[in-house]
Amino acid sequence: MTGLLRYRTYWISWGILLALTVGMLFTETVPLYRSVALGLLITAMLVKAGVISAWFMHLRFERAGLVLSIVGATVLTAVALFGLIVPDAIAALRHAAQ
Amino acid sequence: MTTSEHVATGEASWQGGASPFGISWQKLMMWFFLVTDALLFASFLAAYGFVRLASPEWPIRSHVFSLPFIGLMTFVLITSSATMATAVGAAQRNDLKLARTFVLLTAIGGLFFLGCQAKEWTGLILEGARLTSNPWGVPAFASFFFMITGFHGTHVAIGVTVLLILAARLRKGTSNAAGVELVDLYWHFVDLVWVFIFTCFYLI
Repeated sequence: MTGLLRYRTYWISWGILLALTVGMLFTETVPLYRSVALGLLITAMLVKAGVISAWFMHLRFERAGLVLSIVGATVLTAVALFGLIVPDAIAALRHAAQ
Repeated sequence: MTTSEHVATGEASWQGGASPFGISWQKLMMWFFLVTDALLFASFLAAYGFVRLASPEWPIRSHVFSLPFIGLMTFVLITSSATMATAVGAAQRNDLKLARTFVLLTAIGGLFFLGCQAKEWTGLILEGARLTSNPWGVPAFASFFFMITGFHGTHVAIGVTVLLILAARLRKGTSNAAGVELVDLYWHFVDLVWVFIFTCFYLI
């Protein structure tokens, strides 16, 4: 990628991140169902994380092996961590409510 | 070497040569560090998520935090990421003077973020928030807040220090594009972590 095109890409990414951040703050002011707001916020969060890692951290230009090793390892471990904790937390909440 | 010998040694499917990931060992080590650090933050957020889900009540964030102010902090951090990325672009074009300017702008952004965080912490402490108690009811709320944002803030402070060292090295001509790229990875990681903290702690 040429230098000027790369600069433009960085600042477009910045614009996307900024727009998503404003949108996320906006959800606080709009009366939405909790589940809808939650879905929007988590989606925006994941898109922001994707933009940062793909464009700013240049993962888009790295070899697939590196991307899979880094993103795969991190995401799998984090999902396992949350997957183990969430049912336990819900059980604890039900137990406290009884 | 015959085909059967290639298969026996595993070379038949090996396409990576001497550098399977196609990056320098310094960059690979930085990635390994970032993965472990990401999992540390994931553990903090998972612990926070557990307590949050298991608590029947939780303070309303908009009553505790000034969300426009947090939005400003986020804006500054995102902008500093863009300036850092621009510094890498300049360094790769061998324009080290421009790279240094953008590295310094990134450091200024980091310092501004830290100043905002200090202001936020001071306000909450003056309202009575402590590690073990707070005026909003759930004791774990403040302890998670101080621990998670404090840990992230420490990362920002370390990043600013490294950025200033990098700027000095670029001025002396003792660093190059590869050095800028390593610091760049760390700085974007700090921004990446903030994306999760901002959403999980301040918005959800």
